[in-house]
Amino acid sequence: MRKKVLQYLFMLSIGFPLAFLLLLSLGRRWSFPSVFPQELSFVNWELLHQSDDRLFQTFFLSMAISLVVSLMVTSLAFVVSKEIAYSKYRNTFLFLAYIPYLLSPVILAVIFQYFFIISNLTGTFLGVVIAQFLIAFPFGVLIYVNFWNKQIKELENLSYTLGGNRWQTFRKVLLPLSKNAIVLCFFQVFLISWFEYGLTNLIGVGKIKTLTVSVFNFINEANIFYAALASCLLVIPPMMLLYINKRFIFIKR
Amino acid sequence: MQPLLHIQNLSKTFGNERVLADVNLHLAQHKVLSLLGSSGSGKTTLLKIIAGLEQPSSGEIFLNETEISQQPPQNRNIVYLYQEALLFPHFNVYENIAFGLRLKKQSNQAIKEKVQQMLHYLDIEKHAEKMPNQLSGGQKQRVSFGRAMVVEPKLLLLDEPFGALDSNTRQKMQSLFIKLVEQLKISALFVTHDLKEAIIMGDSIGKIQKGKLIQYESKQAFFEDETSGVKNEVDFWKGIK
Repeated sequence: MRKKVLQYLFMLSIGFPLAFLLLLSLGRRWSFPSVFPQELSFVNWELLHQSDDRLFQTFFLSMAISLVVSLMVTSLAFVVSKEIAYSKYRNTFLFLAYIPYLLSPVILAVIFQYFFIISNLTGTFLGVVIAQFLIAFPFGVLIYVNFWNKQIKELENLSYTLGGNRWQTFRKVLLPLSKNAIVLCFFQVFLISWFEYGLTNLIGVGKIKTLTVSVFNFINEANIFYAALASCLLVIPPMMLLYINKRFIFIKR
Repeated sequence: MQPLLHIQNLSKTFGNERVLADVNLHLAQHKVLSLLGSSGSGKTTLLKIIAGLEQPSSGEIFLNETEISQQPPQNRNIVYLYQEALLFPHFNVYENIAFGLRLKKQSNQAIKEKVQQMLHYLDIEKHAEKMPNQLSGGQKQRVSFGRAMVVEPKLLLLDEPFGALDSNTRQKMQSLFIKLVEQLKISALFVTHDLKEAIIMGDSIGKIQKGKLIQYESKQAFFEDETSGVKNEVDFWKGIK
Protein backbone atom coordinates (compact mmCIF):
# COMPACT_ATOMS: atom_id res chain seq x y z
CA MET A 1 0.00 0.00 0.00
CA ARG A 2 2.75 2.40 1.05
CA LYS A 3 4.71 1.48 -2.06
CA LYS A 4 1.69 2.20 -4.28
CA VAL A 5 1.07 5.57 -2.62
CA LEU A 6 4.70 6.54 -3.17
CA GLN A 7 4.48 5.43 -6.81
CA TYR A 8 1.35 7.53 -7.38
CA LEU A 9 2.94 10.50 -5.63
CA PHE A 10 5.97 10.19 -7.88
CA MET A 11 3.81 10.01 -11.01
CA LEU A 12 1.73 12.96 -9.78
CA SER A 13 4.85 15.05 -9.13
CA ILE A 14 5.87 14.57 -12.76
CA GLY A 15 2.43 14.61 -14.35
CA PHE A 16 0.84 17.52 -12.49
CA PRO A 17 3.18 20.32 -13.70
CA LEU A 18 2.81 19.08 -17.30
CA ALA A 19 -0.97 18.81 -17.04
CA PHE A 20 -1.19 22.25 -15.40
CA LEU A 21 0.99 23.80 -18.11
CA LEU A 22 -1.32 22.33 -20.75
CA LEU A 23 -4.34 23.68 -18.89
CA LEU A 24 -2.81 27.14 -18.60
CA SER A 25 -1.91 27.15 -22.30
CA LEU A 26 -5.64 26.70 -23.04
CA GLY A 27 -6.66 29.48 -20.63
CA ARG A 28 -7.92 32.95 -21.53
CA ARG A 29 -8.89 34.59 -18.25
CA TRP A 30 -7.72 33.69 -14.78
CA SER A 31 -8.37 35.96 -11.88
CA PHE A 32 -8.29 35.49 -8.13
CA PRO A 33 -9.83 33.53 -6.36
CA SER A 34 -10.52 31.01 -9.22
CA VAL A 35 -8.48 27.82 -8.94
CA PHE A 36 -8.51 27.28 -12.71
CA PRO A 37 -8.76 29.69 -15.67
CA GLN A 38 -12.32 30.85 -16.20
CA GLU A 39 -12.21 30.35 -19.94
CA LEU A 40 -10.58 27.49 -21.83
CA SER A 41 -10.10 27.45 -25.60
CA PHE A 42 -7.67 26.48 -28.34
CA VAL A 43 -7.19 30.09 -29.46
CA ASN A 44 -3.57 30.25 -28.21
CA TRP A 45 -2.70 26.97 -29.93
CA GLU A 46 -4.50 27.98 -33.14
CA LEU A 47 -2.10 30.91 -33.44
CA LEU A 48 0.67 28.39 -34.02
CA HIS A 49 -0.98 27.32 -37.29
CA GLN A 50 -0.27 30.73 -38.73
CA SER A 51 3.09 30.46 -40.46
CA ASP A 52 4.04 34.03 -39.50
CA ASP A 53 3.46 33.38 -35.80
CA ARG A 54 6.42 34.51 -33.70
CA LEU A 55 6.29 31.53 -31.33
CA PHE A 56 6.13 29.07 -34.19
CA GLN A 57 9.23 30.58 -35.77
CA THR A 58 10.97 30.69 -32.39
CA PHE A 59 10.36 26.97 -31.95
CA PHE A 60 12.10 26.13 -35.22
CA LEU A 61 14.91 28.61 -34.56
CA SER A 62 15.54 26.98 -31.16
CA MET A 63 15.41 23.55 -32.76
CA ALA A 64 17.93 24.61 -35.43
CA ILE A 65 20.33 26.10 -32.85
CA SER A 66 20.14 23.04 -30.56
CA LEU A 67 20.54 20.57 -33.42
CA VAL A 68 23.56 22.39 -34.88
CA VAL A 69 25.21 22.72 -31.44
CA SER A 70 24.49 19.06 -30.59
CA LEU A 71 25.84 17.79 -33.91
CA MET A 72 28.97 19.96 -33.68
CA VAL A 73 29.73 18.98 -30.08
CA THR A 74 28.91 15.28 -30.60
CA SER A 75 31.23 14.93 -33.58
CA LEU A 76 34.09 17.22 -32.50
CA ALA A 77 34.17 16.06 -28.87
CA PHE A 78 34.40 12.46 -30.12
CA VAL A 79 37.68 13.20 -31.91
CA VAL A 80 39.14 15.54 -29.28
CA SER A 81 38.22 13.31 -26.32
CA LYS A 82 40.15 10.45 -27.91
CA GLU A 83 43.30 12.56 -28.13
CA ILE A 84 42.83 13.70 -24.52
CA ALA A 85 42.07 10.21 -23.17
CA TYR A 86 45.28 8.75 -24.61
CA SER A 87 47.42 11.80 -23.87
CA LYS A 88 49.98 11.74 -21.09
CA TYR A 89 48.49 15.09 -19.98
CA ARG A 90 45.01 13.54 -19.69
CA ASN A 91 44.40 14.73 -16.11
CA THR A 92 45.46 18.31 -16.91
CA PHE A 93 43.09 18.46 -19.89
CA LEU A 94 40.24 17.02 -17.84
CA PHE A 95 40.87 19.59 -15.10
CA LEU A 96 40.63 22.32 -17.76
CA ALA A 97 37.42 20.78 -19.12
CA TYR A 98 35.76 21.25 -15.73
CA ILE A 99 36.59 24.97 -15.54
CA PRO A 100 33.54 26.15 -17.59
CA TYR A 101 31.35 24.46 -14.97
CA LEU A 102 32.96 26.40 -12.15
CA LEU A 103 31.73 29.58 -13.83
CA SER A 104 28.07 29.94 -14.75
CA PRO A 105 27.21 30.33 -18.47
CA VAL A 106 26.19 33.95 -17.83
CA ILE A 107 29.66 34.79 -16.46
CA LEU A 108 31.20 33.08 -19.48
CA ALA A 109 28.90 35.12 -21.72
CA VAL A 110 30.11 38.33 -20.09
CA ILE A 111 33.71 37.21 -20.75
CA PHE A 112 32.91 36.26 -24.36
CA GLN A 113 30.73 39.27 -25.09
CA TYR A 114 33.54 41.70 -25.95
CA PHE A 115 35.01 39.33 -28.51
CA PHE A 116 31.58 38.59 -29.97
CA ILE A 117 30.88 42.33 -30.32
CA ILE A 118 34.13 43.11 -32.14
CA SER A 119 33.63 40.14 -34.45
CA ASN A 120 30.01 41.18 -35.16
CA LEU A 121 28.66 37.90 -33.83
CA THR A 122 26.27 39.26 -31.21
CA GLY A 123 22.64 39.00 -32.21
CA THR A 124 23.36 36.42 -34.90
CA PHE A 125 22.46 32.74 -35.28
CA LEU A 126 26.15 31.88 -35.71
CA GLY A 127 27.10 33.86 -32.60
CA VAL A 128 24.60 32.00 -30.39
CA VAL A 129 25.67 28.66 -31.87
CA ILE A 130 29.35 29.41 -31.18
CA ALA A 131 28.63 30.65 -27.64
CA GLN A 132 26.58 27.56 -26.80
CA PHE A 133 29.20 25.34 -28.42
CA LEU A 134 31.87 26.84 -26.17
CA ILE A 135 30.01 25.91 -22.98
CA ALA A 136 28.76 22.51 -24.17
CA PHE A 137 31.98 21.27 -25.81
CA PRO A 138 33.89 20.48 -22.56
CA PHE A 139 30.79 18.66 -21.35
CA GLY A 140 30.85 16.50 -24.50
CA VAL A 141 34.54 15.72 -23.90
CA LEU A 142 33.78 14.67 -20.33
CA ILE A 143 30.98 12.34 -21.51
CA TYR A 144 33.23 10.62 -24.05
CA VAL A 145 36.50 10.47 -22.18
CA ASN A 146 35.76 7.29 -20.22
CA PHE A 147 34.72 5.49 -23.39
CA TRP A 148 38.33 5.60 -24.60
CA ASN A 149 39.82 2.90 -22.41
CA LYS A 150 42.58 0.33 -22.83
CA GLN A 151 40.26 -2.29 -24.30
CA ILE A 152 38.90 0.07 -26.97
CA LYS A 153 42.48 0.99 -27.88
CA GLU A 154 43.40 -2.69 -28.21
CA LEU A 155 40.32 -3.44 -30.33
CA GLU A 156 41.23 -0.52 -32.56
CA ASN A 157 44.82 -1.77 -32.90
CA LEU A 158 43.57 -5.27 -33.61
CA SER A 159 41.46 -3.94 -36.45
CA TYR A 160 44.55 -2.23 -37.92
CA THR A 161 46.65 -5.41 -37.77
CA LEU A 162 43.79 -7.33 -39.41
CA GLY A 163 44.10 -4.93 -42.35
CA GLY A 164 41.62 -2.17 -41.49
CA ASN A 165 42.37 1.42 -42.44
CA ARG A 166 41.27 4.36 -40.25
CA TRP A 167 37.86 4.75 -41.89
CA GLN A 168 37.07 1.02 -41.78
CA THR A 169 38.15 0.83 -38.16
CA PHE A 170 35.98 3.82 -37.29
CA ARG A 171 32.93 2.49 -39.14
CA LYS A 172 33.13 -1.18 -38.15
CA VAL A 173 34.63 -0.99 -34.66
CA LEU A 174 34.63 2.43 -32.99
CA LEU A 175 31.24 3.67 -34.18
CA PRO A 176 29.22 0.59 -33.14
CA LEU A 177 31.01 0.37 -29.81
CA SER A 178 30.56 4.06 -29.04
CA LYS A 179 26.90 4.23 -30.12
CA ASN A 180 25.56 4.64 -26.58
CA ALA A 181 28.15 7.30 -25.70
CA ILE A 182 27.35 9.20 -28.91
CA VAL A 183 23.60 9.10 -28.24
CA LEU A 184 24.12 10.15 -24.62
CA CYS A 185 26.34 13.05 -25.67
CA PHE A 186 23.87 14.21 -28.34
CA PHE A 187 20.89 14.10 -25.93
CA GLN A 188 22.72 15.82 -23.08
CA VAL A 189 24.13 18.59 -25.26
CA PHE A 190 20.76 19.08 -26.95
CA LEU A 191 19.17 19.59 -23.53
CA ILE A 192 21.92 22.01 -22.41
CA SER A 193 21.43 24.04 -25.57
CA TRP A 194 17.62 23.80 -25.55
CA PHE A 195 17.21 25.12 -22.01
CA GLU A 196 20.11 27.61 -22.12
CA TYR A 197 18.91 31.09 -21.14
CA GLY A 198 21.51 33.52 -19.71
CA LEU A 199 24.26 33.13 -22.30
CA THR A 200 21.79 32.99 -25.21
CA ASN A 201 20.04 36.13 -23.98
CA LEU A 202 23.33 38.06 -23.65
CA ILE A 203 24.88 36.98 -26.95
CA GLY A 204 21.53 37.01 -28.80
CA VAL A 205 20.89 40.61 -27.58
CA GLY A 206 17.16 40.20 -28.17
CA LYS A 207 17.60 39.52 -31.88
CA ILE A 208 17.96 35.75 -31.50
CA LYS A 209 15.08 34.64 -29.35
CA THR A 210 15.03 30.98 -28.46
CA LEU A 211 11.98 29.35 -26.91
CA THR A 212 13.56 29.41 -23.44
CA VAL A 213 14.29 33.13 -23.78
CA SER A 214 10.70 33.66 -24.96
CA VAL A 215 9.26 31.87 -21.93
CA PHE A 216 11.16 34.23 -19.63
CA ASN A 217 10.04 37.22 -21.70
CA PHE A 218 6.37 36.16 -21.49
CA ILE A 219 6.70 35.69 -17.73
CA ASN A 220 8.25 39.16 -17.41
CA GLU A 221 5.32 40.54 -19.45
CA ALA A 222 2.92 38.66 -17.08
CA ASN A 223 1.53 36.85 -20.15
CA ILE A 224 1.05 33.63 -18.26
CA PHE A 225 -1.05 31.84 -20.91
CA TYR A 226 1.48 32.46 -23.67
CA ALA A 227 4.31 31.50 -21.27
CA ALA A 228 2.48 28.22 -20.63
CA LEU A 229 2.03 27.64 -24.36
CA ALA A 230 5.73 28.30 -24.98
CA SER A 231 6.60 25.99 -22.08
CA CYS A 232 4.46 23.25 -23.63
CA LEU A 233 6.44 23.63 -26.86
CA LEU A 234 9.62 23.69 -24.80
CA VAL A 235 9.00 20.29 -23.22
CA ILE A 236 7.96 18.51 -26.46
CA PRO A 237 11.49 17.88 -27.90
CA PRO A 238 13.00 16.66 -24.58
CA MET A 239 10.02 14.34 -24.12
CA MET A 240 10.44 13.03 -27.65
CA LEU A 241 14.14 12.46 -27.00
CA LEU A 242 13.31 10.63 -23.80
CA TYR A 243 10.82 8.43 -25.66
CA ILE A 244 13.25 7.66 -28.50
CA ASN A 245 15.95 6.98 -25.94
CA LYS A 246 13.82 4.52 -23.99
CA ARG A 247 11.97 2.94 -26.90
CA PHE A 248 14.67 2.45 -29.49
CA ILE A 249 18.12 2.74 -27.99
CA PHE A 250 18.63 1.59 -24.43
CA ILE A 251 15.88 -1.04 -24.58
CA LYS A 252 18.11 -3.08 -26.93
CA ARG A 253 20.86 -3.46 -24.35
CA MET B 1 67.61 -19.36 -47.41
CA GLN B 2 66.46 -15.87 -46.37
CA PRO B 3 64.45 -15.71 -43.12
CA LEU B 4 60.83 -14.56 -43.21
CA LEU B 5 61.48 -12.05 -40.42
CA HIS B 6 64.81 -10.39 -39.82
CA ILE B 7 65.35 -7.73 -37.17
CA GLN B 8 68.58 -5.74 -37.00
CA ASN B 9 69.81 -3.67 -34.07
CA LEU B 10 66.35 -2.70 -32.92
CA SER B 11 66.15 -0.37 -29.91
CA LYS B 12 63.32 1.39 -28.17
CA THR B 13 63.38 4.02 -25.46
CA PHE B 14 60.49 5.60 -23.57
CA GLY B 15 61.82 8.87 -22.16
CA ASN B 16 65.04 7.93 -20.38
CA GLU B 17 64.14 4.26 -20.11
CA ARG B 18 65.65 1.89 -22.64
CA VAL B 19 63.12 -0.92 -23.13
CA LEU B 20 64.84 -2.74 -26.02
CA ALA B 21 68.56 -2.66 -26.69
CA ASP B 22 70.06 -3.71 -30.03
CA VAL B 23 67.70 -6.61 -30.60
CA ASN B 24 68.63 -8.99 -33.43
CA LEU B 25 66.25 -11.75 -34.43
CA HIS B 26 65.49 -14.03 -37.37
CA LEU B 27 62.59 -16.36 -38.03
CA ALA B 28 62.34 -18.87 -40.86
CA GLN B 29 59.16 -19.38 -42.90
CA HIS B 30 56.55 -21.73 -41.34
CA LYS B 31 58.41 -21.86 -38.04
CA VAL B 32 57.47 -20.78 -34.53
CA LEU B 33 59.92 -18.94 -32.32
CA SER B 34 59.09 -18.97 -28.61
CA LEU B 35 60.16 -15.84 -26.79
CA LEU B 36 60.60 -16.25 -23.06
CA GLY B 37 60.59 -13.27 -20.80
CA SER B 38 59.30 -12.04 -17.48
CA SER B 39 56.99 -9.07 -17.00
CA GLY B 40 58.59 -5.79 -18.04
CA SER B 41 61.34 -7.50 -20.04
CA GLY B 42 60.27 -5.70 -23.23
CA LYS B 43 58.67 -8.63 -25.06
CA THR B 44 55.30 -6.95 -25.60
CA THR B 45 57.01 -3.80 -26.86
CA LEU B 46 59.01 -5.90 -29.32
CA LEU B 47 55.83 -7.54 -30.67
CA LYS B 48 54.05 -4.19 -30.95
CA ILE B 49 56.96 -2.73 -32.90
CA ILE B 50 56.94 -5.69 -35.29
CA ALA B 51 53.16 -5.28 -35.72
CA GLY B 52 53.54 -1.54 -36.38
CA LEU B 53 51.65 -0.45 -33.27
CA GLU B 54 54.78 1.18 -31.81
CA GLN B 55 57.63 2.89 -33.60
CA PRO B 56 61.22 1.76 -32.93
CA SER B 57 63.77 4.33 -31.77
CA SER B 58 66.33 2.76 -34.10
CA GLY B 59 66.93 -0.43 -36.06
CA GLU B 60 65.38 -2.18 -39.02
CA ILE B 61 62.73 -4.83 -39.54
CA PHE B 62 62.67 -6.91 -42.71
CA LEU B 63 59.75 -9.11 -43.72
CA ASN B 64 60.52 -11.22 -46.77
CA GLU B 65 63.54 -8.95 -47.33
CA THR B 66 61.37 -5.80 -47.42
CA GLU B 67 62.05 -3.12 -44.84
CA ILE B 68 58.70 -2.55 -43.07
CA SER B 69 59.46 -0.42 -40.01
CA GLN B 70 57.84 2.66 -41.58
CA GLN B 71 54.79 0.84 -42.92
CA PRO B 72 51.44 1.29 -41.13
CA PRO B 73 50.13 -1.86 -39.39
CA GLN B 74 47.34 -2.42 -41.93
CA ASN B 75 49.88 -2.83 -44.75
CA ARG B 76 52.17 -5.32 -42.99
CA ASN B 77 49.93 -8.42 -42.99
CA ILE B 78 51.14 -9.21 -39.49
CA VAL B 79 48.46 -10.02 -36.93
CA TYR B 80 49.05 -9.33 -33.26
CA LEU B 81 47.08 -11.41 -30.76
CA TYR B 82 46.67 -10.19 -27.19
CA GLN B 83 46.49 -12.22 -24.01
CA GLU B 84 42.75 -11.60 -23.96
CA ALA B 85 40.71 -12.90 -26.89
CA LEU B 86 39.41 -9.36 -27.60
CA LEU B 87 36.44 -10.44 -29.66
CA PHE B 88 34.35 -7.63 -31.11
CA PRO B 89 31.38 -7.59 -28.70
CA HIS B 90 28.91 -6.39 -31.35
CA PHE B 91 29.62 -9.30 -33.75
CA ASN B 92 28.75 -12.97 -33.39
CA VAL B 93 31.37 -15.71 -33.80
CA TYR B 94 30.89 -15.95 -37.59
CA GLU B 95 31.24 -12.19 -38.09
CA ASN B 96 34.24 -11.99 -35.75
CA ILE B 97 36.07 -14.54 -37.87
CA ALA B 98 34.89 -12.89 -41.08
CA PHE B 99 36.04 -9.45 -39.90
CA GLY B 100 39.45 -9.37 -41.61
CA LEU B 101 38.05 -10.80 -44.84
CA ARG B 102 35.35 -8.13 -44.94
CA LEU B 103 38.04 -5.46 -44.49
CA LYS B 104 39.74 -6.89 -47.57
CA LYS B 105 36.38 -6.69 -49.38
CA GLN B 106 36.32 -10.33 -50.37
CA SER B 107 33.14 -11.71 -51.93
CA ASN B 108 30.44 -13.08 -49.64
CA GLN B 109 30.87 -16.53 -51.16
CA ALA B 110 34.64 -16.54 -50.51
CA ILE B 111 34.08 -15.28 -46.97
CA LYS B 112 31.49 -17.97 -46.31
CA GLU B 113 33.78 -20.75 -47.53
CA LYS B 114 36.80 -19.54 -45.56
CA VAL B 115 34.90 -18.89 -42.35
CA GLN B 116 33.13 -22.29 -42.52
CA GLN B 117 36.47 -23.99 -43.03
CA MET B 118 38.00 -22.12 -40.09
CA LEU B 119 35.01 -22.94 -37.86
CA HIS B 120 35.56 -26.58 -38.80
CA TYR B 121 39.31 -26.44 -38.05
CA LEU B 122 38.59 -24.91 -34.66
CA ASP B 123 35.68 -27.25 -33.93
CA ILE B 124 33.30 -24.39 -33.10
CA GLU B 125 30.81 -24.77 -35.96
CA LYS B 126 27.88 -25.07 -33.57
CA HIS B 127 28.79 -21.77 -31.90
CA ALA B 128 28.84 -19.72 -35.12
CA GLU B 129 25.74 -17.69 -34.25
CA LYS B 130 26.66 -17.07 -30.63
CA MET B 131 27.72 -13.68 -29.32
CA PRO B 132 31.08 -13.37 -27.49
CA ASN B 133 29.44 -13.10 -24.05
CA GLN B 134 27.94 -16.57 -24.58
CA LEU B 135 31.35 -18.26 -24.99
CA SER B 136 33.80 -19.77 -22.51
CA GLY B 137 37.37 -18.48 -22.25
CA GLY B 138 38.73 -21.31 -24.41
CA GLN B 139 36.05 -20.84 -27.06
CA LYS B 140 36.78 -17.12 -27.20
CA GLN B 141 40.46 -17.82 -27.71
CA ARG B 142 39.63 -20.25 -30.54
CA VAL B 143 37.56 -17.58 -32.28
CA SER B 144 40.40 -15.12 -31.78
CA PHE B 145 42.80 -17.57 -33.47
CA GLY B 146 40.36 -18.17 -36.29
CA ARG B 147 39.89 -14.44 -36.87
CA ALA B 148 43.66 -13.99 -37.11
CA MET B 149 44.45 -17.03 -39.24
CA VAL B 150 41.62 -16.70 -41.73
CA VAL B 151 43.32 -13.62 -43.24
CA GLU B 152 46.42 -15.75 -43.89
CA PRO B 153 48.93 -13.39 -42.28
CA LYS B 154 52.58 -13.63 -43.20
CA LEU B 155 53.38 -13.61 -39.51
CA LEU B 156 51.38 -14.19 -36.37
CA LEU B 157 52.43 -12.49 -33.12
CA LEU B 158 51.05 -14.10 -29.99
CA ASP B 159 51.45 -12.24 -26.71
CA GLU B 160 50.88 -14.83 -23.96
CA PRO B 161 47.65 -15.95 -25.63
CA PHE B 162 46.90 -18.67 -23.08
CA GLY B 163 47.88 -16.66 -20.02
CA ALA B 164 44.29 -16.09 -18.90
CA LEU B 165 43.15 -19.73 -19.33
CA ASP B 166 42.95 -22.50 -16.74
CA SER B 167 45.57 -25.26 -17.04
CA ASN B 168 43.26 -27.79 -18.67
CA THR B 169 42.00 -25.39 -21.34
CA ARG B 170 45.54 -24.12 -21.78
CA GLN B 171 46.79 -27.63 -22.65
CA LYS B 172 43.98 -28.11 -25.16
CA MET B 173 44.74 -24.77 -26.78
CA GLN B 174 48.43 -25.57 -26.99
CA SER B 175 47.64 -28.84 -28.82
CA LEU B 176 45.19 -27.01 -31.11
CA PHE B 177 47.76 -24.34 -31.93
CA ILE B 178 50.43 -26.93 -32.79
CA LYS B 179 47.93 -28.70 -35.06
CA LEU B 180 46.94 -25.45 -36.80
CA VAL B 181 50.57 -24.42 -37.29
CA GLU B 182 51.16 -27.65 -39.20
CA GLN B 183 47.91 -27.56 -41.16
CA LEU B 184 48.02 -23.90 -42.14
CA LYS B 185 51.81 -23.51 -42.33
CA ILE B 186 51.91 -20.58 -39.93
CA SER B 187 54.97 -18.53 -39.05
CA ALA B 188 54.72 -17.12 -35.54
CA LEU B 189 56.44 -15.43 -32.65
CA PHE B 190 55.01 -16.89 -29.46
CA VAL B 191 55.67 -14.87 -26.33
CA THR B 192 55.31 -16.56 -22.96
CA HIS B 193 56.79 -16.45 -19.49
CA ASP B 194 56.16 -20.19 -19.03
CA LEU B 195 59.28 -22.29 -19.67
CA LYS B 196 57.38 -25.48 -20.47
CA GLU B 197 55.04 -23.69 -22.87
CA ALA B 198 57.99 -22.08 -24.64
CA ILE B 199 59.58 -25.50 -25.22
CA ILE B 200 56.30 -27.11 -26.37
CA MET B 201 55.23 -24.37 -28.75
CA GLY B 202 58.45 -23.24 -30.40
CA ASP B 203 60.63 -24.75 -33.09
CA SER B 204 63.31 -22.55 -31.61
CA ILE B 205 63.61 -20.44 -28.50
CA GLY B 206 64.71 -16.94 -27.64
CA LYS B 207 65.01 -15.27 -24.27
CA ILE B 208 64.45 -11.60 -23.63
CA GLN B 209 65.74 -10.06 -20.45
CA LYS B 210 65.87 -6.36 -19.59
CA GLY B 211 65.46 -5.48 -23.26
CA LYS B 212 68.24 -7.74 -24.54
CA LEU B 213 67.42 -10.75 -26.66
CA ILE B 214 69.33 -14.02 -26.91
CA GLN B 215 68.20 -16.29 -29.71
CA TYR B 216 69.39 -19.88 -29.35
CA GLU B 217 70.56 -21.77 -32.43
CA SER B 218 68.70 -24.88 -31.33
CA LYS B 219 66.54 -26.12 -28.48
CA GLN B 220 69.53 -28.17 -27.31
CA ALA B 221 71.60 -24.99 -27.00
CA PHE B 222 68.80 -23.52 -24.87
CA PHE B 223 68.66 -26.59 -22.62
CA GLU B 224 72.41 -26.44 -22.09
CA ASP B 225 72.46 -22.75 -21.19
CA GLU B 226 72.84 -22.52 -17.40
CA THR B 227 70.82 -19.29 -17.31
CA SER B 228 67.85 -20.67 -19.29
CA GLY B 229 66.26 -22.14 -16.16
CA VAL B 230 65.81 -25.60 -17.76
CA LYS B 231 68.41 -27.25 -15.55
CA ASN B 232 66.78 -25.83 -12.39
CA GLU B 233 63.41 -27.13 -13.55
CA VAL B 234 64.80 -30.62 -14.26
CA ASP B 235 66.56 -30.69 -10.89
CA PHE B 236 63.36 -29.67 -9.15
CA TRP B 237 61.33 -32.55 -10.65
CA LYS B 238 64.16 -35.02 -10.02
CA GLY B 239 64.25 -33.82 -6.39
CA ILE B 240 60.56 -34.69 -5.95
CA LYS B 241 61.27 -38.33 -6.90
